[in-house]
Amino acid sequence: MTATLNAAATSARTAPAAPARRRLGVGGVIRRVVLIVFGLLWLMPVYLLIANAAKTSDQYGSVGVWQPVGLGGLVENMKQAWNVGQLGDGLLSTAIYSIVSPALAVIIGAAAGYAIVALRLRHGFAWFVVIFSATVVPLQMILMPLFRWSVQLELYDKRIGMIIVYTVLTIPFAAFVMRNFFSGIAREIFEAAGVDGASPMRIFWRIYLPMSISALAAVFVLQATLIWNDLLIGLTLTRSDDVRPVMTALVAMKSTYGGSTMQVVLAGGLLVSLPTVVLFLLTQRTFTKGMALGQF
Amino acid sequence: MTTTLTSTGPPSAGKSATGRERNRYAAQAGGFAAPALLLVTLVLYLPFLWTGYLSFTDYTGLGNANWVGFDNYANMFSDADMRTAMLNTLYWVVGTIALPVGIGLALALLVHGLPGSFWYRLPFLLPYAISGVAVGVVWTFILQTDGALTQALRFLHLPGADLQWLIDSPLNTWVMIGATTWQGAGVNALLFGIGLASIPPGPVEAARLDGATGWQLFRHIYWPMLRPLTTVVVGLAIVGSLKTFDVVWAMTQGGPGNTSQTLALLMYKRTFIDFKWGSGAAIAVFLTVITVVAAGLYLRRQLSEAKAVN
Repeated sequence: MTATLNAAATSARTAPAAPARRRLGVGGVIRRVVLIVFGLLWLMPVYLLIANAAKTSDQYGSVGVWQPVGLGGLVENMKQAWNVGQLGDGLLSTAIYSIVSPALAVIIGAAAGYAIVALRLRHGFAWFVVIFSATVVPLQMILMPLFRWSVQLELYDKRIGMIIVYTVLTIPFAAFVMRNFFSGIAREIFEAAGVDGASPMRIFWRIYLPMSISALAAVFVLQATLIWNDLLIGLTLTRSDDVRPVMTALVAMKSTYGGSTMQVVLAGGLLVSLPTVVLFLLTQRTFTKGMALGQF
Repeated sequence: MTTTLTSTGPPSAGKSATGRERNRYAAQAGGFAAPALLLVTLVLYLPFLWTGYLSFTDYTGLGNANWVGFDNYANMFSDADMRTAMLNTLYWVVGTIALPVGIGLALALLVHGLPGSFWYRLPFLLPYAISGVAVGVVWTFILQTDGALTQALRFLHLPGADLQWLIDSPLNTWVMIGATTWQGAGVNALLFGIGLASIPPGPVEAARLDGATGWQLFRHIYWPMLRPLTTVVVGLAIVGSLKTFDVVWAMTQGGPGNTSQTLALLMYKRTFIDFKWGSGAAIAVFLTVITVVAAGLYLRRQLSEAKAVN
């Protein structure tokens, strides 16, 4: 805690109260310089990743790691990571998991939120706490039963098993956000539609969900990223190359191909990061909204 | 799917006593909530209970589970690996509050009110979209023996060129906390930024007119107003740090030896590598208890706000 304060104090001091602080004051300039310097420092690992993922095996051995040599080897290294490192299979599975599971979870979570807010489920808040509290449980607490039971139910090392687990893991967050979002929709809308004879099911699909597209999208993007980046569930519940998610495949590749073929592993790391980074850049606003919705 | 939703009858259907108009929907309400409740119960809460039970047995993953009482818990505290894991997990908690949260707050304050804040924030936010595993891959490359960092330090004639970042302990844990900071500081900055933006300009202007300087402004205006948000961010950071797995698994797998082990990792190793499910379950329970206590910090607040919205 004190460290937080100290760090904050340092930053506050870098913005001193000069008399002419407005907009282009001395403080503003110092702040900008500090931000740019640290921003560049923050990008160093990204530079190293790209520069070295793009080196051919000859260049990797002979050229210093800080020295750029162009992007000549990048495609070849990625190809090798795709084929030899078997990231290709993992990418397909992970793509399926990160689209299907959050899509199911937002609908199921939204239905629960709708039941609590619009249909006024009895003891709704208690049920809400039951669903939401599940987010706190560390995965470690459920790994053994998931492994054991999925073997017994023949869902171990199956894509359908992975989809079920990922879906359920993302339901609590979806329910939390959607319930809070639905609370902001005027109740008159629900009542008016009810008076007009619309069933709760119709009101849910035709009014509540279409009104919540932005929140649904925010939850979807955030949870899709979470699933894309998962390691632990993949490590526990999969074995074969075509079911194993991509991060689990990347870890396996790193321990097998480290050392002299590090440039291939780096290219693999870059390859599996591109989808989420691009998604993040494209949906920056939605992403931020999801973060904010999830916190408050 | 939609048809099954409505046909699932809720237990509370028709029992409502208030006689208000909403009773009309009581049956459907249960149906809409049922899928989420059922799935969460079957896939999260039931396993939760089973792991709790296993922690009192000598189960190995095969055969029968014999009741051993508190043996697994008692052994846990005399286990040297376990003590290392506890100490490292403590480093993770302290380090995560100090670094990603502290730097996040500092960044938010630096960016606050600057035109073009999106661009200043972007370099810090970008690593968040990268997975823990990919972060581990990049930072292994940087920190490995004679890696990018060592070469840079040697070139610049700076101290530290003789350090084995991923091998010396507890240095290896701290550099991995550093890697996580690289990944997570930007998100905390974003959250603090949202908090700062919601502070009404009135008090800030008034304090400025009274001649408050940067530090005084922070101490007396920003910090008190950010307090509720800080509780949530710190709570999330503690919970996240207790669950740390991906970065460590990708970088050192808890090694060399067991020197960079954390509780989350040790549970996995005990269970799926050593086949001591009972002892793995005890670690899981221990980890869960600490996590729930820490989460109480921010959950109470989040839930009470949710209730207020109701």
